[in-house]
Amino acid sequence: MNILLKAAKIIDPSSEHHLKAKDIFIENGVISKIEDEIAPGTETKILSIKGLHVSNGWFDTSVSFGEPGYEERETIANGLLTAAKSGFTSVAVNPNSNPVIDSNADIGFLKNKALGNAVNLYPIGALTVNSEGVDLSEVYDMKSAGAIAFGDYQKSITNANLVKIALQYVQNFDGLILSFPSEKKIAGKGVVNEEVNATKLGLKGIPALAEELNIARDLFILEYTGGKLHIPTISTAKSVQLIKEAKEKGLDVSCSVAIHNMVLTDDVLNTFDANYKVLPPLRTQSDIEALITGVKEGIIDFVTSDHNPIDVEWKKREFEHALYGTIGLESAFGALNTIFGTEKTIELLTKGKERFGLNTSKIALGEKADISLFNPEETYIFDKENIYSQSKNSAFIGQGLKGKVIGIYNNGQLITNE
Amino acid sequence: MSELSVDHLLGIKYLKEEDIQLIFETADHFKEVINRPIKKVPSLRDITIANMFFENSTRTKLSFELAEKRLSADVVNFSASQSSVAKGETLIDTVNNILSMKVDMVVMRHPNPGAGVFLSRHVNASIVNAGDGTHEHPTQALLDSYSIRERLGDVAGKNVVIVGDILHSRVALSNIFALKLQGANVKVCGPKTLIPKYITSLGVEVETNLRAALEWCDVANMLRVQNERMDISYFPTTREYTQQFGVNKKILDSLDKEITIMHPGPINRGVEITSDVADSKQAIILNQVENGVAVRMAVIYLLASKIKQ
Repeated sequence: MNILLKAAKIIDPSSEHHLKAKDIFIENGVISKIEDEIAPGTETKILSIKGLHVSNGWFDTSVSFGEPGYEERETIANGLLTAAKSGFTSVAVNPNSNPVIDSNADIGFLKNKALGNAVNLYPIGALTVNSEGVDLSEVYDMKSAGAIAFGDYQKSITNANLVKIALQYVQNFDGLILSFPSEKKIAGKGVVNEEVNATKLGLKGIPALAEELNIARDLFILEYTGGKLHIPTISTAKSVQLIKEAKEKGLDVSCSVAIHNMVLTDDVLNTFDANYKVLPPLRTQSDIEALITGVKEGIIDFVTSDHNPIDVEWKKREFEHALYGTIGLESAFGALNTIFGTEKTIELLTKGKERFGLNTSKIALGEKADISLFNPEETYIFDKENIYSQSKNSAFIGQGLKGKVIGIYNNGQLITNE
Repeated sequence: MSELSVDHLLGIKYLKEEDIQLIFETADHFKEVINRPIKKVPSLRDITIANMFFENSTRTKLSFELAEKRLSADVVNFSASQSSVAKGETLIDTVNNILSMKVDMVVMRHPNPGAGVFLSRHVNASIVNAGDGTHEHPTQALLDSYSIRERLGDVAGKNVVIVGDILHSRVALSNIFALKLQGANVKVCGPKTLIPKYITSLGVEVETNLRAALEWCDVANMLRVQNERMDISYFPTTREYTQQFGVNKKILDSLDKEITIMHPGPINRGVEITSDVADSKQAIILNQVENGVAVRMAVIYLLASKIKQ
């Protein structure tokens, strides 16, 4: 089917049409015309929506879908549909399923499940067998099957020598290592940020020190080994500083921040609502400010929803017994657009794919259409009805957001949330 | 003020100063009642209370049960070991099952911080927190303040030091909130490893020298070291802890004033305090226990009168 986007404002600084409203004609999945006014031909679906904006397809570096093993949380099919309706054309999927994604066959399973989907699924392979932190998994074999990076999701690597070996080993094939920043013994049995609120609520705290110490360790190792390191979801002001200094030294390190860590502080914990139980924990206002500055200055490379559906049985319970995680794809664009404004938000959602070995798309004639569709002006209160995920564990419920997603066009398919 | 500003007693931090005064005035009346030959009033004949203890307790459970019975409420008891919790039932389901048998009020002790707050948001009954993990133990703090008021006339302006394991103590936290709300000056004293890093944000001072703390205070509330909540050693040995933070008669006698010694129990004699201190006239440990019944009667009576409205 051919698609005609009417009067779509293009947000793409690399395009000559940047910030201009154009008609865009997509023929058999390829952008074939960009003009002021295009007459629709036969068998063309016309998308004429007030406030329609278009950008290159968005990429999220950390989402979890449950399947295989936790289908009650989310399936790959509905997870990808959620991504599409949330404006994402590419997602990196974490290996935290059951079984853990730690072999060539497991990677193949995920790739097959996503075959023919509008959204590109890029698996992250487990760095260690069963994510137990003991033995390296067959990372080369997984890379051959389509894994784009290697990490054990939110399990930190306690053995420093394993970080060293991993960073050395993957250099043969330009692999990217993910090391979740948390020193396990310092974090202890903590469940929330160690600060005033944890003290008031009697909840065990995770000191910022746990995160910072682990990052410092990994950066020391990286300096010794060389190689490519990505630190997912940093959350403290000092972590931003550590990454900044490492980059100034010329180390090949990148990092991300979860969007909820830039929106919410640990003040929301007063009600003991487990939807706010996330890792890394919600920190303080001064951390939020440092994280936002870090993003603006490019010290933090990626913003991620760190989308993690958890079914109600594991959320509606005593805080200490609930599982960590919030869904975030649905609220990602609105939350970022509210903080950073449209142009910066689109930059954040589209940049850096090459870090994970992926190609960047372009809005230009003859290019494959890999685009996100949105209206950055619409304001609304995020509520349960805005959730497409099977699990409803959103930390954003009740947040005022500016910017709504219309959908995507990718792999020859149009998906909208209308 | 004739009624509480809250529908549940989940923690001291949810109360106003007037709530505490109302509870104390009501407790004064009930203290007189429980010292009569017939220690009972018919006030709550139409109220049914479930005592749900998901964590071990002897004195708190007994104290609540006595308080309820002296108000003539119907009482059912439940403890986790004999329950369906072991079979995997959720907290909300367990409590809702009991409520469907027409129970009006739930007194709950639970190992998880915030369990009472969580429950109050999901079930339809008045909840009294009888201790939730390391969060709060509001009736203990109320009876502690009530006992200070009884001994020293007032809580406002008094210097109170809480000694021991502050990190794992719901009693410490509730006491800090209660004492600050009533205008007392509060210090905490113990090994640095057992004092939360951000405790001063609650308006208390940290003192690591026991003698200095005792010289400053009017009241010393000695907490038990909660070994069962510790995942690692926070100090080398009990012997060394006692050398630094144990109160004995010699220290007390060397002070230039007679301070009041409190303890929420159970006491580890010879660890936090020696026997001669525990049994001295400076200690009001057994008064605390007696006042516990009167204060709990007051709390239950005031919450029940809100249910009846």
